[in-house]
Amino acid sequence: MRRKPQWLVLLLVLGLILAACGDGGGGDTTTTAAAEEEPTTTAAPAEETTTSAAEEGAGDVATDVGVDLEAQTLTIGLLSDLSGPFAPLVQVIVAGQEMYWADVNANGGIGGLQVQIETRDTAYDPAQHVQLYEELKTQVVAFGHSTGSPQTMAINPQLQADGILAIPLTWYSGWSDPAINSNLVPHGVPYCIEAMNMIEYLTVQAPDATTIAIASSPGDYGEDSNAGAVLAAEALGLEVVYNGTGLINQADEATLTEVAGGIASSGAELVWVTTSPTPFGSIYGQALAAGFSGALWSGAGPTWNPALVAPDSPISEPLSNDFYISAYYAPWAAESEGNAAVRDLVTAAGADPLDYYAEGVIEATILHQALQTAYDAGDLTQAGVLAAAKSLESVTFGGLAPDETYVGEPNERVQRAQFISRPDPAGLADGTSTGSTLVESNYTSPTAEAFEFNEACFSLG
Amino acid sequence: MKGRPLLYTSYEADQGLLNTTSKKVMLGLFLLVLVSIPFQVIPGLKFLGQGGWLRLLSTTAIFAIGALGLNILTGLAGQVSLGHAFFMGVGAYTAVWLGGPVDGPLLGLGLPIWIWLPAAGIVAALIGVAVGPTAVRVRGLYLAIVTLGLVFIGDYLFRNWASLTGGAQVGRDFPPLEFRWWKEESPVIDFTTPSTWFGVEVSGIAKTFFLLALLAGVYTLLAKNLQRTRVGRAFMSIRDRDIAAEIMGVNEFAYKLLAFGISSFYAGIAGALLASFLTRVIPEQWNLFLSVQFIAIILIGGAGTVTGALLGSAFVVLLPRIVQNFTLWLQSLALEGEGILGAIANVFIATSQTDFGLINTMAGVGPGLSVAQLNLVLYGLLIIGFLIFEPLGLFGIWLRIRNYWKGWPFTY
Repeated sequence: MRRKPQWLVLLLVLGLILAACGDGGGGDTTTTAAAEEEPTTTAAPAEETTTSAAEEGAGDVATDVGVDLEAQTLTIGLLSDLSGPFAPLVQVIVAGQEMYWADVNANGGIGGLQVQIETRDTAYDPAQHVQLYEELKTQVVAFGHSTGSPQTMAINPQLQADGILAIPLTWYSGWSDPAINSNLVPHGVPYCIEAMNMIEYLTVQAPDATTIAIASSPGDYGEDSNAGAVLAAEALGLEVVYNGTGLINQADEATLTEVAGGIASSGAELVWVTTSPTPFGSIYGQALAAGFSGALWSGAGPTWNPALVAPDSPISEPLSNDFYISAYYAPWAAESEGNAAVRDLVTAAGADPLDYYAEGVIEATILHQALQTAYDAGDLTQAGVLAAAKSLESVTFGGLAPDETYVGEPNERVQRAQFISRPDPAGLADGTSTGSTLVESNYTSPTAEAFEFNEACFSLG
Repeated sequence: MKGRPLLYTSYEADQGLLNTTSKKVMLGLFLLVLVSIPFQVIPGLKFLGQGGWLRLLSTTAIFAIGALGLNILTGLAGQVSLGHAFFMGVGAYTAVWLGGPVDGPLLGLGLPIWIWLPAAGIVAALIGVAVGPTAVRVRGLYLAIVTLGLVFIGDYLFRNWASLTGGAQVGRDFPPLEFRWWKEESPVIDFTTPSTWFGVEVSGIAKTFFLLALLAGVYTLLAKNLQRTRVGRAFMSIRDRDIAAEIMGVNEFAYKLLAFGISSFYAGIAGALLASFLTRVIPEQWNLFLSVQFIAIILIGGAGTVTGALLGSAFVVLLPRIVQNFTLWLQSLALEGEGILGAIANVFIATSQTDFGLINTMAGVGPGLSVAQLNLVLYGLLIIGFLIFEPLGLFGIWLRIRNYWKGWPFTY
């Protein structure tokens, strides 16, 4: 008997709450203005630097988050994988960024503003990536890099809602896709165009080749790369005699054996493997042991690591003959002005030579130019920096990396140029190089040139 | 007679959820603080209302639901399980199958939250009951191995079932936290975008936080109630001595199966909420580490207690952030390098390639532990420490504080 009224009251209360919490039925009741206002008003109560502060501070610069005109500081964020699978590389990249900005600060900063870096360890975990993005977005003016494709994809809706700029630290072709990239400025050749470049380059080295074997890790990296490989094979009249796309699982030795066996028994003349260095070494070694030799090998940039041709590596000699290294920027010992600048920065910091410092410098160069442009335009707000980055017609790196542009049609602005090197075990052993010597700068193959780019080669869904 | 501790004049009062006035007052205060957090009104707690911290608190609420589930299985029924992450994954993918977009490239039926959320729990529970018969035949270490197997089967399944999960290292977007009656265009309540509630401006993350805290509250109540029923007592009797329990007429097989089912239900709900909260999840998310985190929550919080599960969740979720902030603070001290504090900080922090220090703040290049490594080390030390010195966990510490004040100002 007592039950019924209780339930009625509960239902009534629930109904009232529903009515009160409802968004009013209309589709667009929450105006975009209110949404954009949010990060500046509620999120950063500690930072009282609004446009009014600019008037009494230096110059007429509008600011919201991450710029303190009184303390003369400007803060950028890095979402880095410092303890996950790519930690060994990303740690060096972050160090490269730190060296670059320390140099900028020593030379007067951005219009006198000293650049500070807030680095957070995402451990290559999308969940932590989102969490740390939310933490940093109320402290930084822009993100100097965002490690990983699924991770960057996870924060992308928030970046768009908050109007913040990020530089993806991944070469997924989707970052140039107009449907995705409104808040991103990519750099370097995307995986799928990289595959076209390299495979065509291999056919130049081996003009009689008619067959190719391809294999890759799963995910955007391997799938995007091999989507390009399949397109290149079609365009070049190569027969794909083995396709192990997405099969390579570093944690599962059996998959490596399977892929190595597949490549060896296919008898392919060219091999395109996109994975990370350890499984690549294993696959190459096993194929070699199965009597497979004479083919030319290559793979997307991150497949290579100089340790593969270190003096104690059993595959050093054959690999040095067979392998062509694909790279987004020129190797350490290259002669360009940009490379010399990187060498100076690293030596000044007392660190050992490594190629990956260059990546940090490239990212920082892009952001530097965006910040400077925004400062010159008098708008160092998060939105101002984003707009400035998207207006950059040409970012140059002194020969360290191909020039970038962020204006125009996707097909015009997508990066197609890259670098190609050969393994250099002798240079690695005596310390004159970081294990590779440059053979091609700013290389674009005819297939890559003719490729019509309008959307990502592989959809992340 | 009123106000005397441990004196009850009726059975209801003795069994009541809030059997003392101080518990009632404390709960009331706690709820008040919880509701006020996003509005940043309480001095000293204002920082919790910022986006980053609110997200952590929301994560805590989700982890609390998962931990309550594992607590029923491990804490109440005494069955070790390393398979919690698998059941969370099952819940998440059930949710996305039912709630994902119909016209997308991946599986999805576009159904609203009131279908996908309960379904996530129910499907996980059904699978829990289905694998139960294998699991309940073994106990102790063997059970741990069987449930460990589940995580690896799940890992394989989730990574390769690309049409549902998006595929390894790619993942997919999950249905957002929004309420619809059916498949209408705009949601009735959208828990992720700012709007006005009862005339007050509420941010998106605050709305998410309220929803998740409410759900955590409901599941806490259910778990607490379960503990006080015939079923809960049967679970505990199995935990304490399974043979004795059977002699008393407790059907061991049926109750163990039930414990698996209920625990998996909680895991499924937590998994669905977590995925929805994170918006995009890769299949590798549901790994052994997640399971271990839940074991850590139970052990650190205090096995077998609802409060322990809640405290443990807060501890495990918030610890990395606290360690990080502490390290950043130490770093700033070391860099300024003034006075005794600066000198002490300098011992702990390595600030350059050549500087010695326990913790490294230069993104891992150079000597010392990185912040992430430090977190893992602390994790391990805390689990060992609690097992040896405080088997009741944080709840045990809380209990001692409570008992001290119960008799205050007397010591007994």
